[in-house]
Amino acid sequence: MTRLLAAEALKLRTLRSTWGFGLVAVLLAGLVTAGSIGGAGQQDRLEAEFQFQLVLDAAFPAAILALLMGMILVTNEFRHGTIARTLLAVPRRARFVGIKLLTGAATGAALMLVTLVAVASTAVIWLGLIDVPLELGDGLHGAGRAFVGVALAGLLGAAIGGAVHSQVGSLVGTLVWIFVAEPICWALLGLLDLDGVASYLPAAALGGVVDSSGEGLPFAGSVGMTLAWAVVAAALALVRTGRRDIT
Amino acid sequence: MIEVERLTKRFGSTLAVDDLSFTVAPGMVTGFLGPNGAGKSTTMRAILGLVHPSAGHTSVLGVPYRDLDRPTQRVGALLETFDAHPGRSGRNHLRVLAVAGGIPRSRVEDVLALVDMAGAGRRRVKSYSLGMRQRLGLAAALLGDPEVLVLDEPANGLDPQGIRWLRDFLRSLATEGRAILISSHVLSEVAQTVDDVVIIHRGRLVRHVAMGDVEAMAAGATTVRSPDAERLASLLAEANLDVTASGDGRLSVMAPPEQIGELAAANAVVLHELRAERATLEEVFLELTGEPGERGT
Repeated sequence: MTRLLAAEALKLRTLRSTWGFGLVAVLLAGLVTAGSIGGAGQQDRLEAEFQFQLVLDAAFPAAILALLMGMILVTNEFRHGTIARTLLAVPRRARFVGIKLLTGAATGAALMLVTLVAVASTAVIWLGLIDVPLELGDGLHGAGRAFVGVALAGLLGAAIGGAVHSQVGSLVGTLVWIFVAEPICWALLGLLDLDGVASYLPAAALGGVVDSSGEGLPFAGSVGMTLAWAVVAAALALVRTGRRDIT
Repeated sequence: MIEVERLTKRFGSTLAVDDLSFTVAPGMVTGFLGPNGAGKSTTMRAILGLVHPSAGHTSVLGVPYRDLDRPTQRVGALLETFDAHPGRSGRNHLRVLAVAGGIPRSRVEDVLALVDMAGAGRRRVKSYSLGMRQRLGLAAALLGDPEVLVLDEPANGLDPQGIRWLRDFLRSLATEGRAILISSHVLSEVAQTVDDVVIIHRGRLVRHVAMGDVEAMAAGATTVRSPDAERLASLLAEANLDVTASGDGRLSVMAPPEQIGELAAANAVVLHELRAERATLEEVFLELTGEPGERGT
């Protein structure tokens, strides 16, 4: 198992697109953090939750990137035909899916790590300049939650990629679901006085993990619901990948 | 070492492989021949666990491929479709495979040198020519120093020197006791490499024979021309040989040229031409597979 995970890590490290995702994560984290600090009043900046919120604000774009990377690390295999070579080394399909899920989660965690470095760098410099004391405890609390959320996003992305196989299909389908279909569902559920149900939908559940607004499910519930969606997608990935003939 | 037993594979309504059985023994290079679409690649992928059989089963080294421990150290494979990420360098592609297969990284440099790709290892795969891609695929197949090789059209894209190198290399591997299955749709391409051939057509086994037997199938009549054709014809007929006169002094005789030449010499008959008519290997192949084509002239 270790060597297969090491091979997956080497696959990622030897592709430019991985570094591109890392760079985008750093830039987005820097921009979001700068926007959050710059857009807040001095009183808000001194509030207890502010630095906790700073980390989570940057975690949302990181979660989206992790979701996309999770999908790409599986669908790349089908897109470029490397799946045959991979399955020659890992002929048991369930094991292949399991390794991809772990890699997706690890990729998400790595992406959150670079995001955190960017957030911390921006915050330390900016808050230091405007004499806002750093609250390590708040930051770490936010970071812990963000790591869980972004790792879950990577896991969910890998599971979706394993279920769909088509790179364009999974990327476009997921983005359309997050930004178009699920908001429509929320609106329709709201019309039916079923707002609470909307929190259980995949994007809302994942958003609940990295959102500090207090809306929707509590943190543990959001984690549980996101895991449940990941399990559903992973089960589909097992069936789909297990049955597929690699021709 | 490789066993295919009553393998059947359907893709929807298409029957790709139909009740196919054969074995590949250690120390042998077995040619796997058939026209395009005959089911060769599907069979090879079934052997490697990439395609699920509709019926029957395959095994390598006594077990299904999926049950092999560290399979890439036991079985090397080259598939017809290219299987490296275009954005990765050739060397990194092999490094990934080495790590995944538990193979020492030093083997990467060894196999790159072996296929004459050491100088191109740092280049990204998308810049490789067809021949370089094929060499990289061969390097990947050889990475684990495997006991069994399954090679789908390995000569594709190789230049004549590369084909010759491949032929000699495969022969040397077989001498070490490895089992090698090599597919092609051109019999003459593998004729000098293989010990026996499995010929399939439309998914079904046509013949599993030694290469020597295929060559024997290519043997045909002998054409002989003499200024004394009438006398020669009667001598040949007296020897119970089947003789057909073509009218221009030529005779077509169903016998080997050695026998005819000796008979003519013993009877002091002058010969102007003595030529064995052989079908080409491709003609034998086409005849066996029922494809259009005429047997030698």
